[in-house]
Amino acid sequence: MSLISLPFLIFMLCLLVIYYRAGAKHQWKVLLIGSAFFYLCANPVYIIFIIISIVSTWYLMKNPVKSHFIWTIVINLGLLIIFKYSVNFGIHDLIAPLGISFYTFMTLGYAHDCYDKKIKPSDNIWHYALFISYFPQLTQGPIGTYQEMQEQLTAYHPFDFQRIKTGGYRIIIGVFKKLVIAGRVGFYIDTVYSSPGGYGGLTLIVATLFYLVEMYADFSGYMDIVCGVSDMLGIRLKENFRRPYFSKSIPEYWRRWHISLNEWFNTHLFMPSVTTKWNKKVANILSKAFPKAKKGTLRLIVPTVIVWIVTGVWHGARSSYLGWGIYFAFIMLVSFCTQSYVKKFNAKIHWNPENRFVKAFQVVRTLIFLSFGEIIYRSESFSDTVAIFKNIFTDTRINGATIAAAMTPFGNGNQAAASVLIILVLVVAQFVVEYAKEKDEKAFTGHRYVYALLMIVGIALFGVAGKSNFMYQAF
Amino acid sequence: MKKVIITLAVALLITASAVAFKNVYSCEMPIQNRGIRDAVNTGDLDVLFIGSSTFRANVDMPMMDEAYDGRVYDISYGGNQLVATAIQYEEIKKRSDNEYGLMVFELGPMMITQEVALSDSRVIWDLSFPGKTALWQSMYEAGNTDFSMFYEYFVTSGMDDLITFPITERFYSTRYYKGAKTDESVSPGAEWLENEEFDISGKELVPAQADAVIDIIEECKRDGQPFVFLESPCYYRLQEDPAFERFRGQFIKLLDENEAPYILASDVDFDSHEADYFEDMNHMSAAGRREYTKELIRVLKENGEKLSQAAEPK
Repeated sequence: MSLISLPFLIFMLCLLVIYYRAGAKHQWKVLLIGSAFFYLCANPVYIIFIIISIVSTWYLMKNPVKSHFIWTIVINLGLLIIFKYSVNFGIHDLIAPLGISFYTFMTLGYAHDCYDKKIKPSDNIWHYALFISYFPQLTQGPIGTYQEMQEQLTAYHPFDFQRIKTGGYRIIIGVFKKLVIAGRVGFYIDTVYSSPGGYGGLTLIVATLFYLVEMYADFSGYMDIVCGVSDMLGIRLKENFRRPYFSKSIPEYWRRWHISLNEWFNTHLFMPSVTTKWNKKVANILSKAFPKAKKGTLRLIVPTVIVWIVTGVWHGARSSYLGWGIYFAFIMLVSFCTQSYVKKFNAKIHWNPENRFVKAFQVVRTLIFLSFGEIIYRSESFSDTVAIFKNIFTDTRINGATIAAAMTPFGNGNQAAASVLIILVLVVAQFVVEYAKEKDEKAFTGHRYVYALLMIVGIALFGVAGKSNFMYQAF
Repeated sequence: MKKVIITLAVALLITASAVAFKNVYSCEMPIQNRGIRDAVNTGDLDVLFIGSSTFRANVDMPMMDEAYDGRVYDISYGGNQLVATAIQYEEIKKRSDNEYGLMVFELGPMMITQEVALSDSRVIWDLSFPGKTALWQSMYEAGNTDFSMFYEYFVTSGMDDLITFPITERFYSTRYYKGAKTDESVSPGAEWLENEEFDISGKELVPAQADAVIDIIEECKRDGQPFVFLESPCYYRLQEDPAFERFRGQFIKLLDENEAPYILASDVDFDSHEADYFEDMNHMSAAGRREYTKELIRVLKENGEKLSQAAEPK
């Protein structure tokens, strides 16, 4: 059941009525049944696997000893690997259960927190089942933690029309981002990236920049919808984006993009790896090779590489995802290792980090490095990646012919100019809104009815019908 | 609550107005240098082409203008289909009492293999509401419709053009002259044309497109409208492809069975092996367009009288 569909709208309306009519004792049960129904609509068979994950984890972590923790990891990661990477083992017809990547991470996070005694294991399997299966966050996150979610999920939320309005407004924003912005630029990107070797540098640069727009509009649009849905139910989900394209460095970018996933990796993989004995040993070996380097920095190297390779592979069994992970591991390491030198250098040339031109330079620089990574990620093969980089660096010219060529993927000559104009307006409008919010979080919070009106009309008249599948749904 | 309802009502009203305007009045928009409205406003014509982007690229309109004293026009849409051509013919006839000395329809062998669909949002723009619904009906009967397509067809398609009309119309109108392209497109070179991959062997005749050919013939005969089907030359690799020849054979058989006149690519003296004449497999470069149009004018003039005499009302 797509979040942008009539069945989901009907499902939500029914759920809201039943949810707010249920008493304090039963409200969370309505959510659990609703979540199970949502999951069953996707594919009834796959509910078995989420049940296996829920029951085994809850049962094992009731007594969070090391062996139970290891078994939890084996069961959950085993299921994830079987379903996600079966293609690599020659099995082609196994479809991964809906949201398996996300609920596996929530499960493992819960198990790790129990094992580390950060939380008390759940004593009610139904409460735990609701935490894992809560439908707004099930398919694409955000990856919530037990501490943040449990109390909210089981608490009583009386009806509040203000909450319905706020949630509804956020849903409209999300649908607009997805169907109007992501949907429109998506055509261009799909056309160019399906055979990138045939396009010149300028077209490839435009397609790559559009891809940044599409990714953000698609993924943050999805988050707006699920946060809006959850707001309507009185449950606040973790924010997953904080205007990432205004980041001044790649590490900052990853603190502002897909925040819950990166926090998960930080808490459950990166930090534990940094403090392990073997990592200290590796750092000692490295310190002999690089005697001037700080030991603290050397300890970050292996965990960084591990986290980024895992992040890449988590996206799927494609060499481009692995390449993407290695690329960002490299960028992060360069960033860590050069940090102190860059600071000294900046001080030497009186580089004021608060100067707005300096900030703009840093933002553009970050976007360029990010674009390189996304080229690797979006390419369908290694040869495509090479072709794109080659054409960008050897065949980028700006003249009448190359501009005309860059217009071609917008559609035939009869539609190109109008599409270009609409997309430009949308991209600029999105930039203005994001920039204003970067300066002041409260920007564009007034006149909500006017914005809602414009967005509804925009969705109705300019939304790309049949484009309701979200990019991250595939993971 | 009141504000929410008002917001939703106003949004619905604006959307409904825009949709109604697009579907009912778009065909009356003052579009210059292309489309049905502009063709009709040009008045009586000696030659009216109705076809796809092949006609748009392959016919040099200034040369035609000179040959026919300005009484010529080219109505063309990207990937125009025979089903749509039949509706466009009806639309032209309904919307004016103009006289057309000769209507030239496209004998595109690949056109009879196309699934019935909307190929170019301009088709919707140019058609009146009954024309739009007739085309939708054809798509529906061919089983090529669903709700998202319905929504695209009647709501979103062409909205970009509508909202940006004051700006984009100026840009578009400079790129066409009487429906044909004006740009000086050049060939990508023999190497590109020789290596361009295509595979049409899996395609088959689509009955709805074949029926549309018969409709066009019958309506022209009924109206006493002189007409001819014209095959434009393609680059020799496509022109001589066995599947392409098979589709051409099927098209010609259809025309022969219904006693319709046609001019084949081989009837016009034009070198399909000359790479400089082609922009891609089936669209000519500016050089090819001029060379072809010169010969086409000669063939059309030679056959014009014969075609007019053949068109007796039935």
